[in-house]
Amino acid sequence: MRLGVVAVSTLAWRNLWRNYRRTMIMLLAISVGVWAMIFMTAVLRGMVDNMVTQALDTLPGYVQIHAPNYLDDPSVTHSLPAPDPSLLQVLGDPLVAAWTSRVKVPAMISSEYENRGVTLIGVDPEGEQALGFDIHDITQGRFLVGANDRGLVIGRKLLQRLDTRLGKRIVIMSQDPGNSIADRGFRIVGVFRADLESREENIVYAGRSVVQTMLGMGSEVSEIAVRGHDYRHPQVLADKIQAETDARVSSWLELDPYLSTMMRVMDGFVLVWMVVVFLALSFGLVNTLMMAVFERIREIGLMQALGMRPSAIVYQFLLESLLLLLLGLLAGNLLAVTTIYVLRDGIDLSGVAQGLEMMGAASVMYPVLQWPDLVLANVVVIVLGIATSLLPAWRAARYLPVEAIARTS
Amino acid sequence: MEGVSRGTMRTLLLLWAALSSSGLLAAEVVDAREMVRAAMDHWRGTNSYSEMTMTIHRADWQRSMSMRAWSEGDQLSLVRVTAPKKDKGNGTLLKDRGMWSFSPKINRIIKIPSSMMSQGWMGSDFSNKDISKSTDILEQYEHSLSGQEQVDGHTVYIIEAIPHEDAPVVWGKEVLKIRDDFVLLEEQYWDQDGELVKVMRARDVVEMGGRMVARVLRMGKVDSKDEWTELTVTSIAFDLDLPSGIFTLSNLRNPRQ
Repeated sequence: MRLGVVAVSTLAWRNLWRNYRRTMIMLLAISVGVWAMIFMTAVLRGMVDNMVTQALDTLPGYVQIHAPNYLDDPSVTHSLPAPDPSLLQVLGDPLVAAWTSRVKVPAMISSEYENRGVTLIGVDPEGEQALGFDIHDITQGRFLVGANDRGLVIGRKLLQRLDTRLGKRIVIMSQDPGNSIADRGFRIVGVFRADLESREENIVYAGRSVVQTMLGMGSEVSEIAVRGHDYRHPQVLADKIQAETDARVSSWLELDPYLSTMMRVMDGFVLVWMVVVFLALSFGLVNTLMMAVFERIREIGLMQALGMRPSAIVYQFLLESLLLLLLGLLAGNLLAVTTIYVLRDGIDLSGVAQGLEMMGAASVMYPVLQWPDLVLANVVVIVLGIATSLLPAWRAARYLPVEAIARTS
Repeated sequence: MEGVSRGTMRTLLLLWAALSSSGLLAAEVVDAREMVRAAMDHWRGTNSYSEMTMTIHRADWQRSMSMRAWSEGDQLSLVRVTAPKKDKGNGTLLKDRGMWSFSPKINRIIKIPSSMMSQGWMGSDFSNKDISKSTDILEQYEHSLSGQEQVDGHTVYIIEAIPHEDAPVVWGKEVLKIRDDFVLLEEQYWDQDGELVKVMRARDVVEMGGRMVARVLRMGKVDSKDEWTELTVTSIAFDLDLPSGIFTLSNLRNPRQ
């Protein structure tokens, strides 16, 4: 029996190289297919990763605490008392990387020439930076210094829209909890850029205490944003905080349903993508094996006449297909990993940046190789490859030896 | 001797200069601010009732509406449109720094939210803010007398008003021209680069209701000559015996005058 296995393997290996040109073409097809599966998946993963981390830097945080009604109606009346000792204790937990409290209300901003609706965010500058605000995004002037900073930081696009400049004064109007108008003049001390134009246009930052005074809301805040260590599993953190407060604690999966759905769809999509690529590949594979079977009808008949059992013939063809697949996978994996390594500094897509921005993606893509995806690609190719090879192998084993030997074609 | 006297002279001169300039400065600050205050009081009286026409002019159309207005002190005023028919009954009430508008077509009172304060009042070039923030010019600005000129036998004081750092004012400065009998002749709105953006000018100063009053007020942007709004006062009376309950939401909805 062991001899049988060795003999069948040898036969399969040698058969593979009888028509080496055809085998090489098939190898090329498999490796390109595998490369496409792995590389494209890595690119997509990178894109989603980038979108998620970027979104979490600007959300900000993995978990946010709000007053129960704030998410439905983000007005100043639905605010939250400043964190009490029990909440402060859980915010000091090692699960928490950083946290900050913010005031976030809709407001109007006016220059001498223009008025626009914006979201006014009162921040603690240090906390905001710990949560993900990148100080390098400040293109002119400075970021706020301390919660008492009386300056205002606005987006580059908004600056243009308002026809104003760094150092000029603008007016912010909003509503206080009693529904009357709360307004105040601010001097623009900094201008920030963002990957998304809509952020540059809609967000303005001011000192938290200044905004609290302006709106007459005492020490209350609109939200507390918390950053953890693992953005893929924010629920652990959310549950831990929820145990200490009556306020509504939501993880980013809940706060940004578009992104969380996208993350989940991604897993399914990767599998679908691989199967589709494989389907295209499988026609070539079946065709190659069928050709091999037709070419060798007479020798199949001969081998059967000499006593080889049909199962051994099936094994021989399956083994041939397996060897072909393994070689293709090896080349394809190497190719994909090399490509990803070479492109680790990102793929510059600034040519189509506007389209990508509409999707919420950045213009530089970083392929991210996840080992489960690599394994999945290999498993898909081997399992489905063997499955599609069953048909030719089975047909080869079904010939009657007499008819097979007598065939003259 | 000579040296001493020269030194004394210089000290005296310096002292005089210091005294006079500080004295002048103090007088100026008080004067300018008081002048604006007086102009406000002059226009408003303790209370007033007026009838006026508002004309909104654009390059390709123009419309007018007539209205009646009541005011009392700094904080209270009520305006009600009487013509044309389709605008009749529209009203605006200013009270306690809040602004409400009423439209009989929808039979609803709406509190003007902060987001609408920068929009035009009844479609005019006066913003809701211009209408409602009458006393801001006193509280939110630093005033100084920057010059005076003679017009038609009157002295006109030119007062520069620069907003405080935190004031909710977008302008770099406002310049007011006030006549020596406290008639406000002109209000200029300058941006922070020193460009004139819009101007409100008064014309036809006549005696009405026992006071000198500008009959026509025109508000317009400097860079669009075809767009302006004119308020023409047809009659005005001051210091009346106004019934109580004029400046209430129920009166805004159901007129009793």
